[in-house]
Amino acid sequence: MNLNFDLPAEARHAFTPADGEEIRYCSPVDIGDDGKMKHDGYLVVTNRRLFVISGSEVKTELALADITYLKCDPLVNNGILIARTVQEPEERILARFTMKHVSRVAFIAKGALLLRDGVPKQVISREYDKTCPVCGRALRGTKECPKCSHKPSVLWKFFKLCGAYKGRLAIIALLMLGVAAVQLIIPKIQQVFIDDYLKVGRGGMKEIIIYAAILIGVTIFTILLHVLRYWMCISMGTKMSMDLRQMLYHKVQILSLSFIQDRRPGELMNRIVDDTIQVRRFMEEAFAGMFSCIISMISVVVVMLTMDWKLTVMSVVFVPIALGLSISFRKNIHRRFHMQWHRFDKTNSGLQDILAGMRVVKSFGTEEQEAEHFRKLTDDFAKVQERNEVFWASLFPIISFVMGMGVYVVTYFGGVGVLEDRFTVGQLQQFINYTWMLYGPLGWMTFLPRMITQLMTSLERIYDVMDEEPLIRDNEQAVERDIKGEVEFRDVTFGYRSYEPVLEKINLKVKPGEMIGLVGASGTGKSTLINLIMRLYEVDDGKLLIDGVDINDLKIEKYHSQIGVVLQENFLFAGTIYNNLKFAKPDATEEEIIMAAKMANAHDFIVKTPDGYNTYVGEHGYSLSGGERQRLAIARAILNKPRLLILDEATSALDTESEYLIQKALERLTAGCTTFAIAHRLSTLKDADRLVVIDGHHIAEIGTHNELMEQKGIYYGLVTAQLQMQALKGEEPEAVPAGA
Amino acid sequence: MGFKNFEGADEEFNLEQMEAETEAMLRLRFLNSYNAKFERTPGGFVSLDIPVGEDDKPEHYDRVRVVRSFPFTAPDSYISIRTTEEKSKEIGIIKDITKDVTKETRKMLEEQMNLRYFTPVITKINDIKEEYGHAYWDVVTTEGPCKFVIYMNSSSVVSLTDVRLMITDLDGNRFEIPDFTKLSAGELKKLDLFL
Repeated sequence: MNLNFDLPAEARHAFTPADGEEIRYCSPVDIGDDGKMKHDGYLVVTNRRLFVISGSEVKTELALADITYLKCDPLVNNGILIARTVQEPEERILARFTMKHVSRVAFIAKGALLLRDGVPKQVISREYDKTCPVCGRALRGTKECPKCSHKPSVLWKFFKLCGAYKGRLAIIALLMLGVAAVQLIIPKIQQVFIDDYLKVGRGGMKEIIIYAAILIGVTIFTILLHVLRYWMCISMGTKMSMDLRQMLYHKVQILSLSFIQDRRPGELMNRIVDDTIQVRRFMEEAFAGMFSCIISMISVVVVMLTMDWKLTVMSVVFVPIALGLSISFRKNIHRRFHMQWHRFDKTNSGLQDILAGMRVVKSFGTEEQEAEHFRKLTDDFAKVQERNEVFWASLFPIISFVMGMGVYVVTYFGGVGVLEDRFTVGQLQQFINYTWMLYGPLGWMTFLPRMITQLMTSLERIYDVMDEEPLIRDNEQAVERDIKGEVEFRDVTFGYRSYEPVLEKINLKVKPGEMIGLVGASGTGKSTLINLIMRLYEVDDGKLLIDGVDINDLKIEKYHSQIGVVLQENFLFAGTIYNNLKFAKPDATEEEIIMAAKMANAHDFIVKTPDGYNTYVGEHGYSLSGGERQRLAIARAILNKPRLLILDEATSALDTESEYLIQKALERLTAGCTTFAIAHRLSTLKDADRLVVIDGHHIAEIGTHNELMEQKGIYYGLVTAQLQMQALKGEEPEAVPAGA
Repeated sequence: MGFKNFEGADEEFNLEQMEAETEAMLRLRFLNSYNAKFERTPGGFVSLDIPVGEDDKPEHYDRVRVVRSFPFTAPDSYISIRTTEEKSKEIGIIKDITKDVTKETRKMLEEQMNLRYFTPVITKINDIKEEYGHAYWDVVTTEGPCKFVIYMNSSSVVSLTDVRLMITDLDGNRFEIPDFTKLSAGELKKLDLFL
C-alpha cells in the first residue's frame, strides 16, 4: 500500500519546506469539513511537520515535536485523524477520509509519531490497495496495477515460460499448418468432382466411389491431425500448469511465515490451484484454437483472393459487422445470465441458511415463515430463468442468421456469376465453403478477449507470488550443526511490523537441558519469543545465539530437524497415524515408532483403534479426541529426539485423565531437553527450572516459583487471580499425582 | 506450593471489580435534557456533564461517542452515549432524540452522528459498467459525485427493505439508495443486474 502519494503541483506550493525538510508520508484525505467528498485534500508528513492541505491552502500545520497524541479513529464507513498538541491539549479532528484511506492514515499516524521520536524507521504497509490509486481499476490481489506499472509485462514472462516448451510448440505449429492446409483442400476436391465429373456427365459409379473414398481419407486424416493437435495442447497445458503449481508451492513454502499470515489461506490456495488451472484451460481451449483460427482465416482469404477478388471483398466486408453484432449479443446474454446466476446464488444461500439453522427454525416454530421466504426466492429465480430461456431460444436463430450474412451475399453474387458463366458451379460451391470457414469461428472468437484477460489476471497473481523475495534465507556461511541446546537472547528486539515492537531488548540465557516456563497475559509476546526460537521470523535487532552461534549462521533445515514442537491445536495431516508419526523422522523403524508412542502414552489407544497404526486420521478419517491428538503430537516430537523443545499450551483444554497422561508423557519428553513452555494454567509449569514473566515487551520477572512468589510481583498476582477464580467456581484443588 | 491444578484465568483481574462491571452493564439509564448536559468541544467533539450521576456524584466526560442502536431502522431513537476508550462503556441512552433533548443538543448530537456514519445517498446513476467480476459505478450522491468499484457478488448490494438498497464497495465504503423505484427507467436498467 502506497503511503507516500505524489502531491499535485498545486498542493506542493501550499507550503515551503525548510532546509533538509522532506515529505515522508502523504495520503489523500477525501472528505471535507462539510461532509462532502472532495479530491484535493492531502495529509502530508515531513520529517518536521504535519500538514493537512486542501487545494492550494494549508488548513492545519503542526510541528511534529508539539504533537502529544495522534491516532486514526476508524468510524462507520469513514475515519478521522485525531490529534492533541502541547498548545491544544483537547482532542481535535485534523482530517476525515473514506475507507479507502483509513488503513493508510493509520500507518502514517504511526510513522509520524516515530519521526517525532527520532526513530529512523520508515513505516511500510504490506497490505495491498483494493483499487489502483491511479486509474481506479480493481486490483485482484496484486501489489501494483498491471495496467499502470508498465513493468516488463506478464505477457513477456509468459512467453519466456513458453520457451521451455519449444519442441512441443513447434510440433503444435506444424500440426496447425497441416490442419489449415487440409481444410483448404477439401473444398477444392469437391470443386473438381462437381465440375470435372458430375456436371459434364463423365463420371460414373466408379468416380463417385473414388471421390467418396478420397473424401473419407482426407477427413480421417484431418480428424487425426486434430486429435493429435489437441492432445499436444492438452499435454502442454497440463505440464505447464503442473510446473507452475510446483514452482508456486515451492515459493510459498520458502517465503517467510509473515507472507503467508498476511494473506487468507484461501487466497494462496486459489493461486496455487485455480490460477494454474486457468493457465491450463487457456492452453487447452484457447491457445491452439486462437492460432489455428488466425492461420486458417488468413489462408482462406488468400485462396479466395486468387479465385475472385471482388467476391472476396464482398464476403469479407461483413466480417466486422457480424463480429460487432455478436459481441453486443454476447454482452446482453452475459448480463441476463449473470442476473440468473445472481438469483441462483441467492436461492442457494437462502436454502443453505435455512437448512443449517433448521434446529432453530423448528424450536421457534417459524417453519411457515421460512417456507414463504424460500418460496419467494425460488419464484424470483424461476421467473428470471424462464425469461432468459425464452430470450435465448428466440435469439439463437437470429444470431445464426447474422453470422451467415456473408454467405448469402456470396451465394447471390456467385449465383449471378455462374449464370453469366464467369464461374463454374463447383467453384461457387468451393467459394461458399470458404466463406463458411471464414464466418464459422467468429462466434467463438468473441470469447477470446475474456479468456485472454482471465489468463492475464491469473498470470499476474501467480507472478506476484513468484517475484516475492523470501525474508529468511540461509546465509552463505551457514553451517549444519548438531546443537546442544543452549539458547541466548542478547538485546533482542522484534515486532511483526517494524514500527510496533512486540519484544524489546530481551536478554536471557538458557542452559542446555533447562526448562523455562513463559508466563504473561495474552498478547504480551510469549508466542512471539517462541516463534523467534523456531526461526519463523528473523529478529529485528540484537542477536539470538544457539550454543553461542548466531541462529542466522545455522542451516535452517538441519536446525529445524532438531526442534520438537507440541502446540495447543496440533495439526495432523490426512493420512495414517503411522505416516503422521513418521513425518518427523521419515526413516524411523516400526520399533522406534512404537517406543515413541509408548513414551507418549499413545500406544494403547492407537492399538485399540480398528486399524491400529494404519488408522486413517485427518478430514473424513477416524476422529481422535483432543488428548489423543496431543499424545500423537508428543510421540511425533519424541521420535525426533529434539534438543530443543517447545510446548505452546500443550496441556490446555483437556480432561483430567488425559492431562495426567500427557503430563507424564511430557516429563519423559522434556528430560534432558532445553524446553520452553507456555501455559495459562500455571500449575503445568511446576517442573520449570525458571519462570520468565513477560510484560510490556520486556522480561518483567525471572526466577523459580518460590522466588517469584516472594517478590509479590506480576507472577504472584497471576497465581492469586487463578486461585480466586478457583474459589469462585467452588472447586477443590485436586490432589497432586504421586511422583509429580 | 498451593497452586496446583486449577482452572486458569489469563489476565490479572479483580473479582469484585469484575462483578461490579457486569452489574453495571445490565443497567439502562436514559438521558434527557433534565439529567444530562452536552456541550461542543473546541476540537469538534461533544462533552457530557451529568450533574447527578451514579451514587449522586456528578459525572463528567471530555468526549463521548454518539452511536445509533438501530442505524438503518430507527436512526433517531435509542442513541447510545458511550465513552471513547477501546472497551467503550455505555454512559446512557437517549430514547428519542427528537423529543428528549433540546433543539440545540439535538443538532450537536446529529453532527456527531453525521461524523460517525458516512453513507452517501445515491441520487443519480450515470453509469454502471461491468468488467470481469467487478462493477464500476459512476454516480452522483448527496455528498458529491463519486466513482467506486464493487465485487459482483450478492453481498455487495443488499436489500434492506423491498425498495431500499445498501451498496458496499471494495474498500468497505457504503452507499445507499433509499428507494430504487424512484430512479428513472434508464437508471433502473443499469441497476437491473443487482436487483
